Amino acid sequence: MLRKLALGGIRSRFRDYAVLFSGLVIGSAVFYMFLSLATNKAFLTANTMVGMTSFIFGFGEVLLVIITTVYIVYANSFLMSMRQRDYAMFMMLGAKSRKIAQLIFIETVTVGVLAAVVGIALGMGLTGVAGHVLMAQLHAPATHFSVVWPPAIMWTFVFFLLMFVVGALINAHNLLKTPLLDLLHAATTPNRLKTKKWVLGLQAVLAVVLLAIGYWAMSQLAKLVLAGIAIALVTIVLGSYFLFNALLVWLIGLLKKNKRFAAKGLHTFTLSQLSFRIRDYTRILAVVSILFALALGAITVGLGFEHDIPDLASKQNAYDTVVVDPNAATMAKARQLTGVKAQINYHLKQDAKHVYFNASELDRDPVLVVQFARGPVKFTKLTAANFAQKSGDYDSQLGQFLPAKAQGKQLAVLTASQFAALTSPVQTAHTWRLKDFTANYDQLSALNKAIVAQYGKESTAVYGQKFTYYDMINGAFSGMAFMGFFLGIAFLAMLASTLMFKILSGASYDQSRYLMLQKIGVRPGLLRKSVRQEIGALFFFPGLLGVIHVLFGLKMFVGLLQEPYGHLLLPFGLFIVLYAVYYLLTVWLYERIVIQKDIATD
Amino acid sequence: MAEQPVVSVKDVTKTYGKRGEKQYQALKGITFDVQPGEFVGIMGASGSGKTTLLNILSTLDRPTSGSVAINGQDVTALRGNQLSDFRAKRVGFIFQDFNLLENLTARENIALPMALQNVKSAQQQTAVTQIAQKLGIDAVLDHYPTELSGGQKQRVAAARALVQQPAILFGDEPTGALDSQSARELLNTMAQLNDQQHVSILLVTHDPFSASYAKRILFIKDGQIGQELVHGDKTQEQFYQEILTTLGTFQQ
Repeated sequence: MLRKLALGGIRSRFRDYAVLFSGLVIGSAVFYMFLSLATNKAFLTANTMVGMTSFIFGFGEVLLVIITTVYIVYANSFLMSMRQRDYAMFMMLGAKSRKIAQLIFIETVTVGVLAAVVGIALGMGLTGVAGHVLMAQLHAPATHFSVVWPPAIMWTFVFFLLMFVVGALINAHNLLKTPLLDLLHAATTPNRLKTKKWVLGLQAVLAVVLLAIGYWAMSQLAKLVLAGIAIALVTIVLGSYFLFNALLVWLIGLLKKNKRFAAKGLHTFTLSQLSFRIRDYTRILAVVSILFALALGAITVGLGFEHDIPDLASKQNAYDTVVVDPNAATMAKARQLTGVKAQINYHLKQDAKHVYFNASELDRDPVLVVQFARGPVKFTKLTAANFAQKSGDYDSQLGQFLPAKAQGKQLAVLTASQFAALTSPVQTAHTWRLKDFTANYDQLSALNKAIVAQYGKESTAVYGQKFTYYDMINGAFSGMAFMGFFLGIAFLAMLASTLMFKILSGASYDQSRYLMLQKIGVRPGLLRKSVRQEIGALFFFPGLLGVIHVLFGLKMFVGLLQEPYGHLLLPFGLFIVLYAVYYLLTVWLYERIVIQKDIATD
Repeated sequence: MAEQPVVSVKDVTKTYGKRGEKQYQALKGITFDVQPGEFVGIMGASGSGKTTLLNILSTLDRPTSGSVAINGQDVTALRGNQLSDFRAKRVGFIFQDFNLLENLTARENIALPMALQNVKSAQQQTAVTQIAQKLGIDAVLDHYPTELSGGQKQRVAAARALVQQPAILFGDEPTGALDSQSARELLNTMAQLNDQQHVSILLVTHDPFSASYAKRILFIKDGQIGQELVHGDKTQEQFYQEILTTLGTFQQ
């Protein structure tokens, strides 16, 4: 009988449960995805710079556990808000508290276990798809990448089970502590805001000061190192909290005092809804803004690393490929390169100690080398006149002009007549500069194999290639890029759903308010507008603060990334679109709960 | 020329349940008029159909057949925004459980219907002050509903219902949640509004005392109007006794 009641409760409110359930499934899927990477040591060591890996993933794991916990707590309170009247009714009919506790336990744990199981299955699918799409895009080798990873399955399951058992116990405890009558007439009864003005003012000042300290600490990371991160974390968290507590309350008060604005349509109602909610929401809004910043920061930095790969590679070498005396197989591969910007050949001759360029060829087409400097790529042109003076600085870039078996010889220039007079055989260095290096990745990879076949793995011909550098940098950075991107998306999904559940768990209390507004003749369109504005404010402000956090936080990466502020459009755009999708979903679900379709309207 | 009735109900029936399923007829053909300035009570036991009738009159529900006209306008033909606007401008409600918005002050609650019609802020404030004085709540306008007594809350609700000067005020057991003193005060106020401001009132109740304030009472039983009593020249005490007697025999 008990099981029937508990599970019957789920069936009777299937639609509401579907919302809760789908959110939890996403939660556990993300959890699984992250763990399948984080606990796969072989994958991590194969794909990332060793020093950073454990730090990034350790940090990521802690954050993920925190956000998942917060998420499950809100999901559980949503669950309770749907069910507490039913429980109260059972109690009124004489059900013993022990029975009710069992009922809650069965129901909550069932939901949790089901969500974990479905989520793990979905997580496997997502890990497969997301993993391979991203890896293919990043040309990451993805060694040891595995979709079904038993330790991750186990930990996801254990974590969810544990969280829901604890959640069930807390829910049962809270329910049994609340007087029966309060449960039956559950509706939040807001009271007057009692915060004193000077307290608000003090909080506002504190907020600004704390945030300023935090932002300063992040910009001085090079000097402060770990202390900087600690200072920033504490001050920014507190600053965000005070900011929401003081500034938003003040802002709403200001709008409410503006009679011409407030006295129009549902503005008073919307503002009042917000001002009564804001106290209840300050903590979660602060948390959301921090997580928003972390997620967006992770994506921006991840994409920054990805951008850096070709940038860094093009700083190693001016030519996309250089081959001396290619054989037929190598030449055939080279001909397949597309978008060739310049193809220039240089004739070379050797003596006992030197490899010579022809001065007339150098004057016609100077050899290009990349200057070692920050910022955009700048070339130095090596001509007959400055070759002797400057070439010494660019040995690593010029090494690939050395023919096979000429290693250790010096590069030098002979005048056209001297060059002609030298009796050694002529060799030809073929150089290619391409419009788009990454678009030619597959062709260059094939070409590189041919070069290795021709010259052997350890030759300067192979070492000097831009492709070799690219692969090396890619190996180091794409792992970071992948993790940043992955963590960012995962956090976004979790934080947005947390906010969604927080808002939705209040919806059932709002139902009667909206019904009453409909009864006194508020147009449904106007009600929808009010809902959109109210939820919009709850999404917008933490998002805005999160963006500001990120803009200051990117200062921390000035040393690591070429241009931390160079490529913001893609990550910010992507992030905002995804965030907006969550906003629209929340509005849609909220409207479905609070706005009655059929009070004789159609 | 006879004045047009404020409410005109003709042959209204309401059947619950879909065709083919088990059906239940809550209203079985109700016909009556309310003239401007009248104070009409509708009485009946639980399940007699009086709440269904009020829901239909106030456009919260639709009749299965028959017509309802308020101020000459057939409300069953209204759809969507027209319906919302009609509710906002032409009818006022007072409910048993007050239905005030707890997150708005009394003043904001009363002003809400005007804000919805984009009435200018200054005009809203004058109208709120006027109606609040009439209902004796001008001292508590800046309190939230949780800070008010039941009687005060119901006066605020009444003020909100009347602020747009609707054609008719519907009351659904407005004294149901009040103590006897507050109930008596509210009813006196309603009677006064009816006498002095000529506000038309339709009051649904099962409480004989509340009903004794009406000028005419319709008794509903099993979805039909069974009997009608008129206050006439009787004192309120006599009318009250008459209602009690009628109820005593009517339910049998």
